[in-house]
Amino acid sequence: MKRMFVVAGTLLLGAGAVMAQQEVAVQQDNLMRSQAKSLYTVILKTTKGDIPYNQKAVDEAIANLEADVAKIAKTFEVNPKQDVVNATYGSSPKVWQNKADFDSKIPPVQKALADVKGKITDVASLKAAYTAINDRCNDCHETYRLKLK
Amino acid sequence: MLRRTIYVVLVAAVAAFAVYWWLTAPTAVALPAPTRGPDLANGQELFNAGGCSSCHAVPNQSDRLRLGGGLALGSPFGTFYAPNISPDPTDGIGRWSEADFVNAVTRGVSPQGTHYFPAFPYTSYHIAEVDDVRDLFAYLKTLPPVSGRVRDHDLPFPFNIRRNVGIWKLLFMDVGPFVPAATQSAQWNRGAYLVNGFGHCAECHSPRNVLGGLISSQRFAGGPNPEGEGWVPNITQKGIGDWSEKDIADFLETGDMPEGDSASGAMRPVIKNLAQLKPEDRAAMAAYLKSLPPVDGPTPPKRKEAGG
Repeated sequence: MKRMFVVAGTLLLGAGAVMAQQEVAVQQDNLMRSQAKSLYTVILKTTKGDIPYNQKAVDEAIANLEADVAKIAKTFEVNPKQDVVNATYGSSPKVWQNKADFDSKIPPVQKALADVKGKITDVASLKAAYTAINDRCNDCHETYRLKLK
Repeated sequence: MLRRTIYVVLVAAVAAFAVYWWLTAPTAVALPAPTRGPDLANGQELFNAGGCSSCHAVPNQSDRLRLGGGLALGSPFGTFYAPNISPDPTDGIGRWSEADFVNAVTRGVSPQGTHYFPAFPYTSYHIAEVDDVRDLFAYLKTLPPVSGRVRDHDLPFPFNIRRNVGIWKLLFMDVGPFVPAATQSAQWNRGAYLVNGFGHCAECHSPRNVLGGLISSQRFAGGPNPEGEGWVPNITQKGIGDWSEKDIADFLETGDMPEGDSASGAMRPVIKNLAQLKPEDRAAMAAYLKSLPPVDGPTPPKRKEAGG
């Protein structure tokens, strides 16, 4: 009886640990998705003319990006050692092998955001801002983002 | 009796070795005399289409024209180190003849007459027109010389024996020239030439067999990243059927995808190169890629442990 409890307890703990790791991976994925929403669903689509230029939406997207980017280092502190179930993209293990280098890619994104903040007034300036920001995102994604399927 | 057995074994061994030597002999092409002077602009275009800089530029510095080499390229067979192809006379290709260069790029044979490993995608480059390769050589000669010899590849036995590459080439390398499809437009043919030749897209976007040869029935259908981590997507219409021809051309220039994302990983440096191309060359590549019939590739692992 006692042994059964121990076994059941261990199994539960194990399952809990796996769940927690999956949760970490999901949090990291969500943070990145939130930025993708600002940068691609709002800004990129506006630059392409898929949606009309909306100053308020653009300013909000930049503000959201600023807030999200500030969370990257902390949210990616722990290696979940697994990908989000059925995700198309994931993090390379290199993030945690070279965490200092990974973190060093963040301030340039923040600088790019600060440089354009309040200066976007039309599609042309938005386009320039998009490229400036996205190039800094890519500096990190080139090494640390993995396509999984 | 014993002496006779030894004799027979020896003869068989010598014969086997002779056959091996004959099968694995590198074959160089004889270069016809040039019919025109080099076109540097064309050389630059092909340098960018070929992505030379992505492997041969000195890593961790921003100048993509410093071709001192040194980048480590992982594979299931060991680690390759991209050599110095800057015009440096001692460490690069400064003393190479045009014939040396054409044989290296289109046949995978070094000036010393040895095989290069197919980490260098001559398996794609072989369809390049000789004049194009000449222009590329002339362009490379205009770039800054970088001194420093790159270390040797780190390959375990038996993959470190260059002569064996001769067998590999017999099995997996086609040496036919590019044949334009008469039924297709000039644009499509230009795209096919760039994608299959200099662009060497299939080298990453196709699965490989255990010996590292491309599985031709699943060409462009994606597969595991040969460098180890992650997945290279299917770029037949099975994978990007939702993308218009213009979407593909735009992607090749900016990395931006119609579904609202941006290219990452090893595709990022490819975009940096392709962004420098003439728009009509990107459009041609897009026209060709859009025409690829849908092909199912290997299935990505359901849930890959990222490992720590």
